[in-house]
Amino acid sequence: MTSFQSMVLRADVNRIYDEKYRDEQHYKSEKRFIRPEKNRGRDKKNKKRGWIVRGMGIDLPFCLIILVLLIIGMIMMFSASYPVAYYTMNDSYYYLKRQLIFAVIGVAVMLGLSFFNYNKLHKIAPLVLGISYVALLLVLVLPSNNGVHRWIGVGTFGIQASEITKFAIVLFFAHWGSKYYNKMQYAKYSIVPGVIIFGTTAMLLILEPHFSCTVIVFILTVLMLYISGMRVKYIAVGAVGIIAVIIVLWLTGGLGYAMTRMGGWGQALVYTDETMWQDTWQTRNSLYAIGSGGLWGLGLGQSRQKYLYLPEPQNDFVFAIVCEELGFIGAVIILLIFALLVWRGITLSLRAKDKFGKLLGIGLTAQIGLQVILNILVITDWLPNTGISLPFFSYGGSSLIMLLAQMGLVLSISRTANIEKQ
Amino acid sequence: MAKNYVKYHKKTDVGPNQRLRRRSVFLILLILVAGFGAVIARLAYLQLVQGSYLQEKAVEQQLTDTTVSAKRGTIYDTNGKVLAQSASVWKVVLAPAYFETEEQRVQVAKDLAEILELDENDVYEKTKQNSYYVVVKRKIESDTREEIIKLQEKIEEEYNLSNVIQLLDDYRRYYPYNDLASSVIGFTGSDDQGLEGVEYQYDSYLTGTPGRIVTAQNANGTDMPFQYEQNVKAEDGNSIYLTIDETIQSICEKYMKKGIEDNAVANRGVCIAMDVDTGAILAMVTVGGYDLNNPYKLPENTQKEIDALPKDKQGSATSAALSQMWRNKAISDTYYPGSVFKIITASMALNEGVVDDNSTFYCNGSMTIADAKPIHCHLLSGHGTQNFTQAICNSCNPAFIQIGQKVGTEKYWQYYQSFGFSERTGIDLPGESEDIFFSQDGSMTSVDLAVASFGQGISITPIQMITACASVANGGYLVQPYVVRQIVNSEGNVIENVDNKIKRQVISKEVSDKMNEILEYNSTTGGANNGYIAGYRVAGKTGTSEKLTSTNGSEDYIASFCGYAPADDPKIAMLVFFDTPTGASYYGSQVSSPVFINIMSEVLPYLQVQAEYSDEEMQYVDTTAGAYVGMSVEEAKSKATEAGFTTTVKGDGDKVVSQIPAVSAKIPNGGNIVLYTDSSSEKEKVTVPDLVGYSISEVNSIASNSGVNASISNAGASSAVVSVSQDIEPGKEVSPGTVVTVKFAASETLND
Repeated sequence: MTSFQSMVLRADVNRIYDEKYRDEQHYKSEKRFIRPEKNRGRDKKNKKRGWIVRGMGIDLPFCLIILVLLIIGMIMMFSASYPVAYYTMNDSYYYLKRQLIFAVIGVAVMLGLSFFNYNKLHKIAPLVLGISYVALLLVLVLPSNNGVHRWIGVGTFGIQASEITKFAIVLFFAHWGSKYYNKMQYAKYSIVPGVIIFGTTAMLLILEPHFSCTVIVFILTVLMLYISGMRVKYIAVGAVGIIAVIIVLWLTGGLGYAMTRMGGWGQALVYTDETMWQDTWQTRNSLYAIGSGGLWGLGLGQSRQKYLYLPEPQNDFVFAIVCEELGFIGAVIILLIFALLVWRGITLSLRAKDKFGKLLGIGLTAQIGLQVILNILVITDWLPNTGISLPFFSYGGSSLIMLLAQMGLVLSISRTANIEKQ
Repeated sequence: MAKNYVKYHKKTDVGPNQRLRRRSVFLILLILVAGFGAVIARLAYLQLVQGSYLQEKAVEQQLTDTTVSAKRGTIYDTNGKVLAQSASVWKVVLAPAYFETEEQRVQVAKDLAEILELDENDVYEKTKQNSYYVVVKRKIESDTREEIIKLQEKIEEEYNLSNVIQLLDDYRRYYPYNDLASSVIGFTGSDDQGLEGVEYQYDSYLTGTPGRIVTAQNANGTDMPFQYEQNVKAEDGNSIYLTIDETIQSICEKYMKKGIEDNAVANRGVCIAMDVDTGAILAMVTVGGYDLNNPYKLPENTQKEIDALPKDKQGSATSAALSQMWRNKAISDTYYPGSVFKIITASMALNEGVVDDNSTFYCNGSMTIADAKPIHCHLLSGHGTQNFTQAICNSCNPAFIQIGQKVGTEKYWQYYQSFGFSERTGIDLPGESEDIFFSQDGSMTSVDLAVASFGQGISITPIQMITACASVANGGYLVQPYVVRQIVNSEGNVIENVDNKIKRQVISKEVSDKMNEILEYNSTTGGANNGYIAGYRVAGKTGTSEKLTSTNGSEDYIASFCGYAPADDPKIAMLVFFDTPTGASYYGSQVSSPVFINIMSEVLPYLQVQAEYSDEEMQYVDTTAGAYVGMSVEEAKSKATEAGFTTTVKGDGDKVVSQIPAVSAKIPNGGNIVLYTDSSSEKEKVTVPDLVGYSISEVNSIASNSGVNASISNAGASSAVVSVSQDIEPGKEVSPGTVVTVKFAASETLND
């Protein structure tokens, strides 16, 4: 070996060492992410873009969409709520102040959970489902509110047991679907557990009673089983089963509450008697608000229907005030942002490195899209008024924290996603 | 395992990862296209297609219309004296939906009931309603308002309820003259709407246009902060000037009330004074009227009668009594005009030329038409042969039957129509009645014509009678009577001037002049001087008509007098009638004439009609005493004698220190002036003698013997008068020279 040779070798070794060191540094800095070889050496522009996209290791566009929705939702919730807050609480900022506190907590929880290894949930998924069942049983023995048992906890810091349920269902089926992914074509791995789990959950929810959540849980169950690979014909079988159950409930009178909530469904504008007029008050005033908005809306803060005509405009019917103030244009823009959230959430989940992450991410994101659709169909009188809140917009501390926590899990999933690899 | 995989692979034709991806893409499409698509479509339909309809519905519930009361216009008399006026008051409105606790309701009901003098339970019932507008009491005055404001503050402080009691503007109608011209003015109801009289007839002018405040309100009924408020100002009602003259009206009412009392009139009386040329009503009295400020209060004795009735009959009795009380007898009741109608019969006969000054009529006390019972003259012995003027002055029925026969049924009906008896006069007051003739088409029997020629058998309203009488007086023109002469808006600008309307000429000017002459003769120097007023030329005719009804088996009568003055240039016509006098006399000449004379002798000077006295009258006309104080006795004596007075000197002084009557005081022509020359003699008194029941010369001599002056009032030109009253009671101690006014009346005048 000549000295020249050895010099070259040394240089090689140094270079290799340097590269290795650099990789190590990179690995350390990026923790669990392994940047693929072929992405190295991209031009400056792409590097810069990549940094923005994956800046903190999470999917930044998804995170930004969430924050944008949260801010818009907060503004609109405040706008919708301040008259009712003023008249009933003597403080126009009553709801805003509380929602702000929860939002700050929620964002912290979201960012915190984005560092949480969601895979730790894989094994405890059945446990979480069990806990949610306990919660559902617990609310039954707790004092009721307006004739329904929904809340756990005290005062404003209670949580709806059904919030846990929805998450637990998605989590469980993500766990189940990823575990038996290759066996999903068999009934005993798909339709059978689906019917059992949904049946149990639905029974507990109907006892509360909480029909809208039952509907959501049903759709989520079908959705999770579908993307996990269940055969399409079972969906049909499931649907027939559900219809049968509804008929049975109807015959036994178990649908009583839902039927009263449905009283005047689709009849808000053609009320015929005093009772119906009272029953459809909220929906009718929601339609008045939506219609009053027209194309361009009355302007931010200019809603008239929020002046005690539309009851609880800060809750489920907040989007009616949004429609009144921002018009059709504003409503569509907000819906597009939600659509973007759904698209980005599902596509990023598909890039997760494991099945559990994929299924969990898709489920959690789809749940938001589902609630948006159901909520707006309720306020536009296409679905009975059964209490489905609008994510990021409706007032409610615990549900907002819960929602942002779930988004934190999606962000955590995004950390494992390989953005550039399709 | 591998086999399974292959089998699966074959079946689905994709790998597990592909399946998840494909199904997820499908899911995205499902959510975004189907879900969001449906949502956006729904919103587009609601906001773009149905938007304006829904907005309309929303605005409908958001906007609240508050009515602002307009102030009702004022009613003035012809000289601008206020007869009816609206003043600000308040109404107390409760918004019981704001109440939070039962305790609040009970307490507020208790406080409100106490302040507003209402029943506590009634108020409490109102506090239980779930409403934002419950009227608790209307038309409260400012002192009550102060108490309500205090209560509002208390409630605000104790319960933090600010809108539960509200005070809203309201108006209340005030009638400063109470019952004056009540049947003409009318009154208003609780909603400020006119219910009777001019208030009813001109309601649309007086009411004005209520304003509106349209505000956006929240569901609780309080104002929304969003900027929407539209004010339409209330337009106050127009004001009305009546033709009624408060002074004349008061004079008429004063003497009508006296006439009612003096003659124990059972069924009210009517007096209408009309401007003969225009038809403007200067006064219209129905006695007894009612207090316009309290129109639901019945006269005490009527109320007592009703209270004595069984409970279930009281309601209907009360409403019947009220409508009777409110009824404007002058236009709503019909009556047989009786002898007053002879004015009309005479006019039509003259106008047709069927009679003249040379016509003679014979009366032997009764007359028989066809197979009917004989019709008697009031003078059963008969008037003998009379000329036309005498027939009127005698008020001879057989003579008028003959005049009527000369006119004939056809012409009679024609004139009846032309004098306006067959139609409403069209006076601008509600409730005018129609006449009742023998038949609809004017056909009548000879007996009908006979009684109709002296005013029996035809029922007409007082307003028709006076209007026809005015047409005889004014040269033959039938005018339309009216009570409103001008309408002005709230700023005082004239909106409408009511022009007098002449309907037609009924008789010629010559006939009118002739009638004025005859009727003046009738009322002054003719058979009866029952319309005589010293210094004024009055034309008129008395009437005593039988009513169809009777009370206590005896015949009921209407005593009336219709006349006008001055006879040479008539200005004012007046009808006075009393329905069913039950006093000493029921004759028009004794019941109605004195009232007519009393009213006219005050009204004519007020209307500035110059009095012209004949020489004979001058001796009874009062003059005024000159100033003699400070003069020497001799000088005073000569001055007084120069002025036509006699003098009596009291005391021993050289100079006059005082005099009775005082300077400028009323004293009859040629009266005695007492001149005092020292103060001690001023204490001397004389006793007022009884001066009733004597002739003029007797009164004069008794008075001068007693040392007082007698002022002769109302003595006719003929000597057949007797004193009927004196203004200072007999037996009273007065200073010498004091003027005692003595009223005279015709001694025996039953010529109806």
